[in-house]
Amino acid sequence: MKETKYIVDTTLRDGEQSPGIALRMEDKVKIAKLLDEIGVHEIEAGIPCVSRRESDSIQEIINNTKNSKISVWSRMNTADVKQSIVCKPHILHIGTPVSYIQIYSKLKKNKAWVQKNVLDCVEIAKNNGIDVTVGLEDASRSDIGFILSLIKELKKAGVDIIRIADTVGILTPSRTKEIIETIKAYSDIEIEMHIHNDLGMAVANSLVGAKAGATYIDCTLFGIGERTGNCNFYDFVHATESIFQFAMSKKQIRRIEDECYPLLKGAL
Amino acid sequence: MIRIIDNTLTGFDGNLPSKEELQGFCKLLFTIGVDAVELSIPAYEKMEKLPEDGNYILQIDYVDDMRKYPGFYRYTCRFEQNIDNMIHEVQINDIREIVRLRALQYCKEMRIIGLDDLMCGTYEKSMQEIKKLLPNSRINFCPENTFHCASALAVHWLLQCGSDVTTSFAGIKNNAATEEIIMTLRLAVRHKPNRDLTVFPELTRLFEAISGRKISNKKPVIGRDIFKVEAGIHADGILKNPATYEAYAPSCVGGKCEMVIGKHSGTKAIKLKLGELQLNIPREETVMKLLETVKEICTENRSSLKDDEFARLAAEVIANERN
Repeated sequence: MKETKYIVDTTLRDGEQSPGIALRMEDKVKIAKLLDEIGVHEIEAGIPCVSRRESDSIQEIINNTKNSKISVWSRMNTADVKQSIVCKPHILHIGTPVSYIQIYSKLKKNKAWVQKNVLDCVEIAKNNGIDVTVGLEDASRSDIGFILSLIKELKKAGVDIIRIADTVGILTPSRTKEIIETIKAYSDIEIEMHIHNDLGMAVANSLVGAKAGATYIDCTLFGIGERTGNCNFYDFVHATESIFQFAMSKKQIRRIEDECYPLLKGAL
Repeated sequence: MIRIIDNTLTGFDGNLPSKEELQGFCKLLFTIGVDAVELSIPAYEKMEKLPEDGNYILQIDYVDDMRKYPGFYRYTCRFEQNIDNMIHEVQINDIREIVRLRALQYCKEMRIIGLDDLMCGTYEKSMQEIKKLLPNSRINFCPENTFHCASALAVHWLLQCGSDVTTSFAGIKNNAATEEIIMTLRLAVRHKPNRDLTVFPELTRLFEAISGRKISNKKPVIGRDIFKVEAGIHADGILKNPATYEAYAPSCVGGKCEMVIGKHSGTKAIKLKLGELQLNIPREETVMKLLETVKEICTENRSSLKDDEFARLAAEVIANERN
């Protein structure tokens, strides 16, 4: 029997960040309903803090979907988290920089600051009855020791799923396998793969991550997303259907692509 | 020692461009770090003369062609011939067929084509098995891309098992993409760090002329839009330090980071774009008003703004705020 893997579709968040497209509320709701109908486990619906309009769109998506969990993306910032949970998503995803270049160069902070802030953010969401996943941004360029220690604290705080984000898309298959197997060896936390396609390996590295123990795979329709895009939903299922079980068929994904093409073609 | 063979020019016999374009394409492949360029006979005949530098391989159907076209670094052929300078090609479509390689141990050089679903299986074990089955052969791996894993398989082969792969530019022959392998090796193991990759735009232009196909705007390494940034959080990060959100500097592949104003832009991106267009940056309230207007218009139009559209909009908003 094939192992079941779950698709997290981020067309409406990471996909929409691709220059060339801007979705209206009705577009986002339409895409979300289609993804919901074919059994996408989680739909990352957007970033509430972008604007009131975006927050309203997410609310409409929640009201118009039945099966998928609706998640929203937030920066690791307590003010943003408070604003993000107003629309009552099923899951709050907290993007947490973990590489030294992100922590020391971009944020000009340190690891202790990151740990305290993410735990504060988790607490706020949990106190409001919202599940949390934490995205370890730029995990592919990070110190695995810091990742493991952070996972330990997140697990204690009630976080069950972390997202391994290859933010700049530089993973190779062997490095992907090494990271996922190391995390699985030291923790029982569930893993979500979030791979960018900068070196043309998004499908392969997502596949390797899934084989190494990741349960959730982030994808977008047509593989749209920043720079070279994310893991292509159809291509991933096509590549792995011989070894993994999914809620949907390739034919269903193709049908959705046909319906959404006019809305997303600007990102291709 | 790593050897990358590019076989792009074995695929366009019916649509060959001028000899100058073909020669230019070959020269640029060597410039980016390709070790040998493989040609079809029609491509070779069209070129008339090979550029002086670089190793060339001729794809042939019959051994007799070796005599007809002498002087090549190597020849590739599907026939089983253990001849010096011959790379024998064998197609393996299924992991279970790997054992058949045992019968080809006498080949000095061999190209294994196919194995497109290797990543789903025990790819590491299978690659080691291939090496064991052919202990005395130089093995060139040419994974196919049916499942979008060819570049990953080629890179894994080069970094963990073998030293020899065949690729094609933009992966056009359903192979690993040459440019993805070159860039991955540079980032992962600093392979040939001094090679000039700024020629990628010219190489892409020539490829489009040769193939008659347009490269996708989002194609890794060579896509025209891959360095465009709109999202506020990333635009800000890239401004502070480009390495935060880019695996490599766009300039190293002849590209440049381009800020696009759209629904996801923030105030910092708006100010940067105003400066870039040599427009005055107004007070903070006006910038906020401009940002709001940008978001409204982009959402309404379902698109980002071109620079001239943004400039017009900025002028209107700033004028209205003054009144």
